[in-house]
Amino acid sequence: MMKSWKMKEIVLMSLFGVVFGIVYLIFVHLGNIWAGLIGPLAYEWMFGIWFIVSILCMAIIRKPGAAFLPEALAAVIEVLLGNGAGPRLILSGMIQGLGAEAAFAATGYRRFNLPVMMLAGAGSALFSFVYGYFVSGYSALDPKFVLLMLTLRVMSGMIIAGVGGKYLADGLLATGALRGYAISRTDKGEARV
Amino acid sequence: MSRLLHEMNPSVKFLVVIVSMLTMAFFFNPWTPLLFWLGLLIVQLLLSRVNWKLWALMMLPFGLGAIGYLWTTLVFGADTGGDVIGSFLGIEVTDEQWARAWSLTFRVLSFSSLSLLFALTTDPVTFIMSLMQQLRVPPKLAYGTMVSYQFLPVLKDELVQIRQAQRLRGVDEGKHWWQRVLGMRRLLIPMLAGAVRKAERAAFAMEARGFTGEPRSEFYRPVKLGARDWALGGLFALLLTGSCVAGVMLG
Repeated sequence: MMKSWKMKEIVLMSLFGVVFGIVYLIFVHLGNIWAGLIGPLAYEWMFGIWFIVSILCMAIIRKPGAAFLPEALAAVIEVLLGNGAGPRLILSGMIQGLGAEAAFAATGYRRFNLPVMMLAGAGSALFSFVYGYFVSGYSALDPKFVLLMLTLRVMSGMIIAGVGGKYLADGLLATGALRGYAISRTDKGEARV
Repeated sequence: MSRLLHEMNPSVKFLVVIVSMLTMAFFFNPWTPLLFWLGLLIVQLLLSRVNWKLWALMMLPFGLGAIGYLWTTLVFGADTGGDVIGSFLGIEVTDEQWARAWSLTFRVLSFSSLSLLFALTTDPVTFIMSLMQQLRVPPKLAYGTMVSYQFLPVLKDELVQIRQAQRLRGVDEGKHWWQRVLGMRRLLIPMLAGAVRKAERAAFAMEARGFTGEPRSEFYRPVKLGARDWALGGLFALLLTGSCVAGVMLG
């Protein structure tokens, strides 16, 4: 998978992993304080924050793995920084990344418009929810409550990660720093101004 | 007190943690996670030198999270039958729910403890090296990650710079916390644009120095894998099976 990647794409992807690892960590701490008060529901509406890097990197690099790897890396960075959540975070990062990757793979890595990005956000939400259902023992909760959690998480994935990721990618494109990456090329392969 | 856990091969330690967590997920009695948690604390106390003050500080948010789990499971728990043993916030609680709520709470605690055990005894660079050497992570990815990791302090300085520059130009950060959270986008884009440029420069520098990212079998700093690692892995396996069996018998 790494064969087709240029070195600068790998470093870019991992640097984004670092930046978002920090952002994620900040929100984990905010979320934890919150979660003490209102339980697991606290995370659901803001879950999309943790899916952004997948969508942003895929929007820029547009190669298979560009959604999965940065998400896994961001989780690794969180662990390296000494987050108490530790290695299980890497696993959940990988699963979230796979969710987004699945959505992009389903469109054949051809379309990178808003609906596909929102689909990717929903994919991450769905994958992470199935994993959370298993690991955090949601089956011990009332099914109605679980359904509420799922709906909130999918909405959050679509809006915060999908729309937010698109917004960030467009903002970055406008700075001109992304010349030389797939996002700057049009469908015909010409440079976009 | 020894430093055995610090010297353990990071990849093996990582796998131990992942396997333990996945196994724990199958148990809904309160004893298994409680026993496992206590066992972990003993192992960590005996086999590592950890700053316990830092440990307590990092455990605190997870402790709060565990309390959140306890009461949500009591209030929103699935209907599992069993005898009513009391009421909480006007909701009748059965013994089954009571056991499950404590199980989830101890699960959160044992997971956090397990994670801290890993985080506080593992050197980041050795971990990445070990991932590359033992778990065959591509060198391109491993070294790319290490380069980015080295950028951390630089990024921190840059964040301060960007904020100061924006303040100088009179950007209002807002009074409320949500305004600040929304204001992050103003910081994020310049940060990321800077990161893109740094990444490009670092990548060119690596290629210019002949880094191809080909898989290799010899390393400048080998991370060892020996009998000690298997013995420690075995110890954790024993603890895991022990607490699972004991938990089922008690529960």
